[in-house]
Amino acid sequence: MREISRTPSKDMAYFILKRLCVTFLVIAVTSVVAFLLVHLSGDPAAAMAGEGATESDIAAVRQLYGFDRPLIVQYFDWIGRVLQGEFGRSYYLRMDVSDILAEHMPVTATLGVLALSFAMLLSIPLGVLAALNPNTLIDRIALWLAVAGQALPSFVFALGLMYLFGVYFRLLPISGGATWAHFIMPAVALGYYATPAIMRLTRSGMMDVLQSDHVRTARAYGLAPWRVVIRHGLRHAIIPVVSLAAVQLGFMLGGSIVIETIFSLKGLGYLAWESIQRADIEVIQAILLVIATTYAFLTLFADLLNAALDPRIRMS
Amino acid sequence: MKVKSVLWAASLAVLAASPALAGKDNDTLVWSTSTEMDTPDLYYGNQREALINAYAQCDSLLHRDPKTNEYLPLLATSWKWLDDTTLEMELRKGVKFHDGTDFDAQDVADTLNHLAAPDSDMKIRVVVDWIKNVEVVDTHKIRIHSKAPTPAAFEYLSGTSPIYPSGHYQKAPEVPGADGKTRRDWGAVLPVCTGPYKIEDYQPGQSLTLVKNPDYFDGSPKGKPTIGKIVYRTIKDTETQVAELVTGGVDWIWGVPPENADMLNTMPNITVVSAPTMRMSFLALDAAGRTGKNPLTDVRVRRAIAHAIDREAIAKNLVGEGAAVQKSLCVPVQFGCETDVTQYDYNPEKAKQLLAEAGYPNGFGVQFYAYRDRPYSEAVINYLRAVGINAELQFLQWRALRPLIVDNKTPIAHLTFGSNGMLDASASTGHYFQFSPDDYARDEEVRGWLAKAEGTMDPTIRKELYSKALKKIADQAYYLPLFIYGRTYAFTSDLDYPLTDDEMAHFYMAKWK
Repeated sequence: MREISRTPSKDMAYFILKRLCVTFLVIAVTSVVAFLLVHLSGDPAAAMAGEGATESDIAAVRQLYGFDRPLIVQYFDWIGRVLQGEFGRSYYLRMDVSDILAEHMPVTATLGVLALSFAMLLSIPLGVLAALNPNTLIDRIALWLAVAGQALPSFVFALGLMYLFGVYFRLLPISGGATWAHFIMPAVALGYYATPAIMRLTRSGMMDVLQSDHVRTARAYGLAPWRVVIRHGLRHAIIPVVSLAAVQLGFMLGGSIVIETIFSLKGLGYLAWESIQRADIEVIQAILLVIATTYAFLTLFADLLNAALDPRIRMS
Repeated sequence: MKVKSVLWAASLAVLAASPALAGKDNDTLVWSTSTEMDTPDLYYGNQREALINAYAQCDSLLHRDPKTNEYLPLLATSWKWLDDTTLEMELRKGVKFHDGTDFDAQDVADTLNHLAAPDSDMKIRVVVDWIKNVEVVDTHKIRIHSKAPTPAAFEYLSGTSPIYPSGHYQKAPEVPGADGKTRRDWGAVLPVCTGPYKIEDYQPGQSLTLVKNPDYFDGSPKGKPTIGKIVYRTIKDTETQVAELVTGGVDWIWGVPPENADMLNTMPNITVVSAPTMRMSFLALDAAGRTGKNPLTDVRVRRAIAHAIDREAIAKNLVGEGAAVQKSLCVPVQFGCETDVTQYDYNPEKAKQLLAEAGYPNGFGVQFYAYRDRPYSEAVINYLRAVGINAELQFLQWRALRPLIVDNKTPIAHLTFGSNGMLDASASTGHYFQFSPDDYARDEEVRGWLAKAEGTMDPTIRKELYSKALKKIADQAYYLPLFIYGRTYAFTSDLDYPLTDDEMAHFYMAKWK
């Protein structure tokens, strides 16, 4: 009864406030966990000084970077700087972390968008074809492609592509990210991994929609078959696919360690992995914070969108 | 029609997009490793990639000939010890830095004095820690005053001590430090040197491009450079490196795994060779009882461990081409590395007998710490289990293992050491047997010999002292040397590449065939 008495705009404002609080809590907790994980997994000074360093070399590093201070002091020192928009400096690459992120994020973003585009271009037509021809050879082939995408480890597929198009036909550059051609193989390798889920969702969605009353009515009106499929079928079936694609994009924007490593693309995933190996603490913390914030705000955005579309969500 | 044109143009663009121009035809040598260079300034980095770059880009006062290991004049033309702690050097005249400024004594003094200062934040301090100060005598003469007699001084002054122009480090940026303070990031300044190649471009974590220095001085023992451009690229994945090498995107790689080496060996345009490195693999045994009372304090147990492991099989079959059994706790190429020491053949029966004599007829359990190459550690553990020693593997990252070593927690640690590229036995023995936190032997006599060797200028006496120390280390089986890592190199057959035993790539000596 309480909810019914509220106006829709009040409901929405309350909902936004609640979700914003949760989002900031998630980010705060992530920052603490990230900080603790990095500091408690070993002596960062030992990693920074290198294997050949003596104890006095390591002690000097510990003092220089302030690792000899209590963890809580180090945390508040770091978070204080972050709140002022200062992510710190990579001890290894000797660059400001914000500059490093600005260099690596576009690589991952380009790869993510291209990979998702490839995945959608491949999986949606396949899903539609499979739904239009259930239990036929076409359906089987589409299913096989989907299963292969799920079963094949991405590094095997990536190396296969590299051998075929890079080494054998010599059509595409093998590593690096200097031109857009460098992104073709990585995007295909990364996108193929996302194909099965999208294809299956499109197929099942289309099959449901094609059996619905409005499609039957459209057919009864004598509309062209492609028009029925695209305009009256796919348009409805694609709504959950878009949600799934958004999640996949979020995943891809976190960077793919495997694909970026194989194709030597200096993206966010590669940077995170390398930074963990060499205990480049300020870079690791910044990446985790950026990814967590991106996820948190994407989730917030999706929640708000759903709440705006469906009043039941914001009432619950 | 328009769509067709766009597609056609796009296809052409794809075909035109080629990787880095490498190879003889482009007079560009592209080399790649999986390690990102931390900084091209050798003093502030500890990657071998930075060392390789420094040799090509920079000159030190002396040059160690990589084939004969003889110290030759480079930026210093002659030198003499005025006493045990004063080294006087005449400097070369007419040499210019890559920025056009003239090289003189002030440059040497400023570079080395900056680094030797306690607050220089230099990474591997041993290279300059011996220097008290550098005095300018005249424009081309200096005196290096050392804190104590330093027999390895020539080693420190060759290759690993590039000279930069005066004021070089004044360009270091001020960056945020701990507690709201700032600090100078000395390693962020790109090196300006006098060497055969000069920096054209540096992309942190990605690439470094050197171009030939056409004004490189005559009479350098490094010779005049011949290859126009040398490009370093980081490619993390070995398979990708191999694919780039095969297709001509890269000219030189190292660390090629045996399976790839076999395949590359069948290709006529690729040369595959293997050579030993300076990295040794060994077991640090807790002879001193730092972890508490344990079987390893008994020399018979340590000798049993030595007899239990088939080092030959591990080196040959597992580590692969270029690797060799390590006879003593040093690298043969180092000065003072005595290899005529007690050797323990693979003899499991003898190992069991020694264990029984020590009171462990049924063996014992022990924690076995490792961090680098898990398969090699597992092989060692299997050999130990075969004689009844139940070693439980604790495989950690270096930064997690290091505090345990310091805190007396590692009865057996499978370690590796690269001597920081130093061709002097003091690099390894000094690190492990002088009562530092890394020393699990804690032998007063060994420490005494080593301290004396490090403070004596006479090479004959030094050799004798190292010989005594290394013989006792082997006899007591304090640390058990296992093998010296090998490296397999693969490069285009167009390249005349000088293979050396110092685990270095001397690209400035390379030529196109």
